[in-house]
Amino acid sequence: MNSVTFIGEHLFWGNLGHTAVVVSFISSIMACLSYFFAERNPLDQSWTKIAKYSFHLHSLAVLTIIASLFKIIYSHYFEYHYAWQHSSTDLPVHFMISCFWEGQEGSFLLWIFWQMVIGQILLRTAKNWLNPVMAVIMLSQIALTSMLLGVKIFSYKLGSSPFELLRNVMANAPIFKTADYLSKVKDGNGLNPLLQNYWMVIHPPTLFFGFATTVVPFAYAIASLWRKDFKEWLKPALPWALISVMVLGAGIIMGGFWAYESLSFGGYWAWDPVENASLVPWLILIAGVHVMIIHKSTGSSYIVALGLIIATFLLVLYATFLTRSGILGNSSVHSFTDLGMSGQLLVFLLVFVLLAIVLIAMRWKLMPRSAKDEEIYTREFWMFIGSLVLVISAFQVILTTSIPVFNKLFSANLAPPADVIGHYNKWQMPMAIIIGVLTAVANLLKYKKNTNEALKKMGLYALISLVITVVLYYAFGLKNYFYLGLLFAGVYGITTNLILLIPFLKGKIKLAGASVAHIGFGILLIGVLVSSANKQVISINESGTALNPEFNNKENVENIYLERGKPNKMGDYIITYVKDSVQWVNTYYQVNYKKLNKDGEVDYEFNLYPNGQINPKFGLVANPDTKHYWGHDVFTYVSSVPSGKAESKYINEKTHMVAPGDTIYTNNGYAILQGINTNTDANNIDMKNFQVLLGAELKVYTLDKVYDAMPLYGVKDNSATSYEALVEEAKLKFRFVEVNPETKKITIITSEKDTSGDFIIMKAIVFPMINFVWAGTIIMIIGFFLSILKRIKELKTSF
Amino acid sequence: MKKTSIIALILIALAIGAIASMYGDASTYENFEVAQDHPGKEYHVVGVLNREKEKYYDPQKDANYFSFYMVDEKGKESKVVYHNPQPADFERSEKIVIVGRMEGDHFEASKILLKCPSKYNETEVKT
Repeated sequence: MNSVTFIGEHLFWGNLGHTAVVVSFISSIMACLSYFFAERNPLDQSWTKIAKYSFHLHSLAVLTIIASLFKIIYSHYFEYHYAWQHSSTDLPVHFMISCFWEGQEGSFLLWIFWQMVIGQILLRTAKNWLNPVMAVIMLSQIALTSMLLGVKIFSYKLGSSPFELLRNVMANAPIFKTADYLSKVKDGNGLNPLLQNYWMVIHPPTLFFGFATTVVPFAYAIASLWRKDFKEWLKPALPWALISVMVLGAGIIMGGFWAYESLSFGGYWAWDPVENASLVPWLILIAGVHVMIIHKSTGSSYIVALGLIIATFLLVLYATFLTRSGILGNSSVHSFTDLGMSGQLLVFLLVFVLLAIVLIAMRWKLMPRSAKDEEIYTREFWMFIGSLVLVISAFQVILTTSIPVFNKLFSANLAPPADVIGHYNKWQMPMAIIIGVLTAVANLLKYKKNTNEALKKMGLYALISLVITVVLYYAFGLKNYFYLGLLFAGVYGITTNLILLIPFLKGKIKLAGASVAHIGFGILLIGVLVSSANKQVISINESGTALNPEFNNKENVENIYLERGKPNKMGDYIITYVKDSVQWVNTYYQVNYKKLNKDGEVDYEFNLYPNGQINPKFGLVANPDTKHYWGHDVFTYVSSVPSGKAESKYINEKTHMVAPGDTIYTNNGYAILQGINTNTDANNIDMKNFQVLLGAELKVYTLDKVYDAMPLYGVKDNSATSYEALVEEAKLKFRFVEVNPETKKITIITSEKDTSGDFIIMKAIVFPMINFVWAGTIIMIIGFFLSILKRIKELKTSF
Repeated sequence: MKKTSIIALILIALAIGAIASMYGDASTYENFEVAQDHPGKEYHVVGVLNREKEKYYDPQKDANYFSFYMVDEKGKESKVVYHNPQPADFERSEKIVIVGRMEGDHFEASKILLKCPSKYNETEVKT
């Protein structure tokens, strides 16, 4: 240990934060044990009391950790590794909030915070289920807070503290031999530029709130097993499961929207392992909710409902393991960096897996199951089939996502499929068709017993939907009969559920959550189908010249070279890279689009401003810009820009002998000599010393604008001087060099700006009907919300 | 047979189908030698950029043509052609994973993944 006393450090906040982490860890153990014993000794009220106070202490500690960490980031205390690594002094406040959860520790903290908030809500609402449910939630809280401990137990480092000092993390760096090292650490590493986006401020909290809520239905399921109460757990667990579905769904789609708005992979979903890892628990949870409703309405399927609810939380833990242990390695673009906690994460996962397995095994014989065979002609049967389809769909996704895990387990060398999208689509498309059709069929049936009426309706609505489908198929210009199936599934789901919705429209809309959610799903399905099937890359060079000898009409030629100021035809558009401007760290490239109609005339025009940031650590980080129309989006991003800014150099000099009225032609436009002015009033020239001073009045015409220019010609002490006129926007320079009295002509030399180093390479995609994707999701979320209200009401009336 | 048993059987069949399809579609990490022996089949090849040899990208001529030389983990070198602009940060890459197939004298990459010196775990304190 060195004996240097360091100057200028703010150790108070780190010590406070670290102490709070330890307190939160210990108090969560206390709370967990007390709730456990309170459940075991229902007559002894003291356990409940201890549990409650421990939990309040825990909550206070969690808030303290958050406050300390935020203080450190906000005040730029770069003596702390977390602040140094994830923030910098130039960040605006809302991005400092993003710094908070950029790192693993911060995002765990977010999860801990939400789980604490949920605990506080349960404390007030869980009533007689409080003890067992809270015991489970506190167990999860123990595991999560242990991730922040950062203490060494023997040689194993348990957790990773966000309050670690920079000088301890990099103990060997020579800079820390000086006492005032802090005066040299002027700035932090900054926030990953891809995360400098307002969606990154709200997407992670929503997603983690979603993850955190999955523990509640899980806790009720465990409590059900623990108490051998196989019926009552459903009522309180159902609204929580629905909240989870809603929030997690919102979090996932926000991630998709963020990707679409600010990443340049061109889309809202890429089947990236990190995306899949959050999708899979959501699918299983939706299946679980459906089976819970079956169980509630008919009393059957207890085991499947319980299994799915338990699986949801375990899959959240598995997703956490996948994305944070570093096991995904090369296969994901946005997993966290490995903090060496994979062992601890695995223990977290296994503890809960074992807990679930052991409890299920212990209660296996007691669990209710129905002896009679399933009736086909009922709602519950088809709901159950639909849930199983969701399970298969989720299974297929998690299987392929887990390839890196199989590589580790069986030391194989498998890589993700080369055509990832094709691989997932061939499974997910048929699944989506079945689910779409089932949202119609199952909802037309009643529970338990049905008449032929339902069957007639099914056929009738299917017929109506088929007609609509065929019309839409041709209207959208789809070209694959598989798409006909998908389109039908979406339309059938929407039509049927709209008709089912009608009776609820008069003031009872609150009860129609299911119909609304299913309509949303149908719209989402159509949006996904049309926006991806008809997605069109329009940035294809149409000049018709093969520019490169090795150029051989590859399909993936999707980027276009745009020289500044030179219009280019691209699909139905004339596009021009107009200019660039710099704001903060980003350079915005103005790209003008002129939409042509069938006759080749300009219909309308708009400008897009995709930006790029030449980041010293990340290279070119490009953010797209999108023009939204109700029926389609035009999506544009720069894929490459010249590395250095070009010097403004004027080349291509040409001499023109002209008289008034003559035209001068250049590559950038033409100019007409209006006249020769003898009374020039050029302000910046001392006119008195000239014997002669002439100005050539030029009108300069470019494609879309007209400019005035007046180069000057003067004679002073028998020598001629020229003053050039520069038309910056037209990139033209005019020089008036000679007067020929005999021919009455003057000589003008034009030159053009060298634009060879001033260009962008960009890609543009048109997404038709992408608004259906967002609208469908929003309607689905409204549907979930209505269902939550309905189930909470049921819960209240049942007490 | 009970309907539940039929459903269970279908489920098992689908699960096996999913596993088979994962194995069938999965690419593998191989080297240039293997890729050369199976032209037309898509592989992942891991390697490093050969900085001695010329890297070609001239957007004014063709914005969608980028070529470079990569040495795979066995030490074999091949020209790689990528019909896209040069990826940002390419120069700094420590390791490159290319996805694609061998086509004649060169490897035609459809995807390039770069492994750069960690963006987060800087080991130097800049002053």
